[in-house]
Amino acid sequence: MTKSKAYIGFITPGFILYSLFMIVPLGFAIYYSFFNWSGMGAMDFIGLDNFRRIFFDERMGGIFRNALGNNFRYMAVAVFIFIPIQIAMAYLIHLKIRGHNLFRLMIFLPYVISPSIIGFFALLVFDPNIGMLNTLLLSLGLQDMVSAWFGNPDIAFSLLVGVIGWNGIGVGMVIILANMKNIPDDVVEASIIDGASVWQRFWHIELPFLKPSIVNVVVLSSIFALTQFDIPFIVGGLNGGIDGKLDFLNLMFFRYTFGDAYFGETALGFGAAISVVSFSIILCISLLQKLVFNRLFNR
Amino acid sequence: MYRRKQGPGGWIATILLTLYCLIAVVLIGNMIVSSFKTKQDLLFNTFGLPTKITFENYRQVLVEDSLYRNFLNSIILTMCSILSLVFVSSMTAYGLARYRFKGRNALELYFLLGLMFPIQIAILPLFVIMRTLSLTNTFLGMIILYTANMSFSLFIFNQFFKELPGALHESAIIDGAGEFAIYWRIMMPISKPVLFTVMTVSFVQIWNDFYLPLVFLAKRSLHTLTLAIYQYLANFLAYWNFVFAAATLALIPVIIVFLVFSDQIISGLAAGSIKE
Repeated sequence: MTKSKAYIGFITPGFILYSLFMIVPLGFAIYYSFFNWSGMGAMDFIGLDNFRRIFFDERMGGIFRNALGNNFRYMAVAVFIFIPIQIAMAYLIHLKIRGHNLFRLMIFLPYVISPSIIGFFALLVFDPNIGMLNTLLLSLGLQDMVSAWFGNPDIAFSLLVGVIGWNGIGVGMVIILANMKNIPDDVVEASIIDGASVWQRFWHIELPFLKPSIVNVVVLSSIFALTQFDIPFIVGGLNGGIDGKLDFLNLMFFRYTFGDAYFGETALGFGAAISVVSFSIILCISLLQKLVFNRLFNR
Repeated sequence: MYRRKQGPGGWIATILLTLYCLIAVVLIGNMIVSSFKTKQDLLFNTFGLPTKITFENYRQVLVEDSLYRNFLNSIILTMCSILSLVFVSSMTAYGLARYRFKGRNALELYFLLGLMFPIQIAILPLFVIMRTLSLTNTFLGMIILYTANMSFSLFIFNQFFKELPGALHESAIIDGAGEFAIYWRIMMPISKPVLFTVMTVSFVQIWNDFYLPLVFLAKRSLHTLTLAIYQYLANFLAYWNFVFAAATLALIPVIIVFLVFSDQIISGLAAGSIKE
């Protein structure tokens, strides 16, 4: 490393762009959240009233709790169902089962498909009239299983989670897979010689080496879960699907901030308050996870 | 390695994973095949092979619906953004990694905050800033945003530059090279592998981005492919033969990039998130 003032020249352009378009807006969101403002004209200072509306207003509070609940439900699925699947997929590929290179490629592939095309695929598969699934069920003579799918409030959320999971599951998998390469061969070989079963070997010898990547995937998946927007918006629409089953915090934010054409109640100050709340939730969850992981791993 | 003969458990796993991977094959294959079908054919022979191959859908979307324009928009926007992002983020990472100064660690942390807070969180004030600077509905504004959203690529470059030997820099100084020349003529050429990684990962992310174009490119003539396809979906049932063609056109470039550079993309995404 050199001691020279030249670093100023290298860093300044990036610093200005990053600060002005990434960090300053975060600060402004907090500022706006104390105002009643339609985006044009006068800003009316109302203190914490926007936050009171989010948490305690009868109608708004209900919408907020429903949306946030969906974010948390998605997060729970991502952490407790998707991550074990990602670990299992990564492990099978790591063990070089037949076709492992192709599997790695194909499991990752949906990640490069744009959200609108994912939405299109969801329509194709689950459309009640012309969708592949109902067509297939009918041709197999399984009339009883034909369903409205996304039009059925009981299963719409699970379907959406499945679609989002299919789209992104490969990312966590490759992160964990990259970590598996760090497991020292000699330790594994020693356990094989000692007669450990495949399961024992995985659980006691190999899994502990994967802590760093699993922690990262948990954190990344949680942030992703708390900022869901694209696929729910494309599949369920701006209103959050039937009975708000597909509503998420970011969708609610979008409705009240940019949705004037649809709702006639544009409220930038209120929108800012929603984003401050989701920002705070992300911060809390991340800190909480850090605390829990430190407790668990550094005994 | 401890590869052994595949037992019954291994075969079950292979079969399950094969079935899972078939979902993608069926969906993408069906999309491509259907894009060559007439509307009649789609209606009565929905999932079979086309009875007659037609290019009418492509003609319709590219010429009549001017999807070629969205295609060009996506290409121009993605390319310019990648170049700008790679240039600015590598320069910043270079300044952070190769120089010793007060507050360097804090600054490094500051630049990585963007990994934790996606740009969506601050979209509203961002919108106000962009409007004030008259950058909404411009490609310049989008390029700036994709460049400012640099935490990921900065992180990758930073790790790479940190591991380069210091002697490289010193010998260049002795040879009389200026600081910028060292970065541009010596450091950038040897960072080709990471450069490639950042470019391919960014290609996938920017080409597919939905949120920023949705918020900042309201003008129809500026829509990217992703937005154009979203518009089609609103009238999905009326025009689904066209959607197949449009979606195929949007997916082909990214699939090609993925198949050619899959190792860079996969290792890049993995490297960008393993922190000790």
